[in-house]
Amino acid sequence: MEFKDYYALLGVEPDADNKTIKTAYRKLARKYHPDVNPDSGAEDKFKEVAEAYEVLKDAGRRAEYDELFRYGGSRDNGFEAPPDWRSSAGFGSATAEQFDGDFSDFFTSMFGAGGSHFHQQQSVLRGQDAEIEMPVFLEETLTDIPKLVEYVIPMVENGQRYDRKKSLKVKIPMGVTDGERIRLKGQGGAGQGGSPSGDLYLHIRLVPHPLFDVEGHNLVVTVPLAPWEAALGTKIAIPTLAGAINLTIAPNSQSGRKLRIKGKGLRSKSSCGDLYALLKVVVPATSNDDVKDLWKALSEKASFDPRAEWSKPS
Amino acid sequence: MNDVVLKISLQELCQYEGLTEQLIVDVVSYGITEPTEGHSVADWVFDTSSVYWLQKAARLYHDLDIDWVAVAMVIDLLQQKEALEERNRIIEQQLNRLLE
Repeated sequence: MEFKDYYALLGVEPDADNKTIKTAYRKLARKYHPDVNPDSGAEDKFKEVAEAYEVLKDAGRRAEYDELFRYGGSRDNGFEAPPDWRSSAGFGSATAEQFDGDFSDFFTSMFGAGGSHFHQQQSVLRGQDAEIEMPVFLEETLTDIPKLVEYVIPMVENGQRYDRKKSLKVKIPMGVTDGERIRLKGQGGAGQGGSPSGDLYLHIRLVPHPLFDVEGHNLVVTVPLAPWEAALGTKIAIPTLAGAINLTIAPNSQSGRKLRIKGKGLRSKSSCGDLYALLKVVVPATSNDDVKDLWKALSEKASFDPRAEWSKPS
Repeated sequence: MNDVVLKISLQELCQYEGLTEQLIVDVVSYGITEPTEGHSVADWVFDTSSVYWLQKAARLYHDLDIDWVAVAMVIDLLQQKEALEERNRIIEQQLNRLLE
């Protein structure tokens, strides 16, 4: 077992007072807390720091630790508690077998598992909640849709840990949104000793669509137009999530203009979003001599200065 | 077919998620999340998406040793950050469509 130098972990001297220890913990906790620091490794670092603080903030535990610190801290390889070592702080090891292992073996060997504040309020026997990402296609959100969910759940049986593959058929309700979390009762980690299982949460992620972009409950489809279509106006078929519909493009439509098609967006529980057709004028990549002549004739006929704004006297 | 649940009651939160009633009342009173149903505290029902934020708030409160005002601010900023990242993703996607 590795000896943990809690003072070094918090970056304080072994004779640091409580206030110094608290300040050091707060700084490190703020930096590494997994809820505010998404970096990989931050969570492990935070757990180490939390464990160090858990021991050093408590006068009784700190005194016990200091004894071991003098005994074991001076050794280079490995650490074993003195053979007659027993915690006197009243943290029995009775709960150690049920403990989920947030603290190191070193901590557990000293104080048992009862000292962990992570599980203070939580029943240790109930199974853990699990969360998995659930990709959903835009088309699938229009109705209730059955999906097969496959996931791996950590299990404990007779003290042995192992991963179990589970698969479930789930009805994803109509109108789910990106980022929403839906709950499946009792489909998380198994409880111990006949206790209830945890829940499974599905974190809904809408799969990016090749044509449609999502903005809340509205959809945006980019509509390429030839310059003459934008100038003269036209009727075109616009794709929606449920079949194509006809859309009239008015003459002299600008690139970037958004046309609203009511009720063709995503469904929410109570209403329906809209579909926006975003116009984008595209110029042919190449043109033959005949076409070039036509463009030339147009440029001579049309008195249009697209940069008129630039020459305005300021 | 397994039925999904989009709601979770106060009792279930206390029983299953290791949260106390007082903590949930605090989280609600600081506007970190709010119940979708229920007039009295005992009848409160939450959206299942709020479990994620409730647990985050509880962890920040206990682990960072900060008060609820600070937790509420952190959560608020984290939610704003998520929304901005999402907005940014959408705008980048649309920009690519206009440029391609």
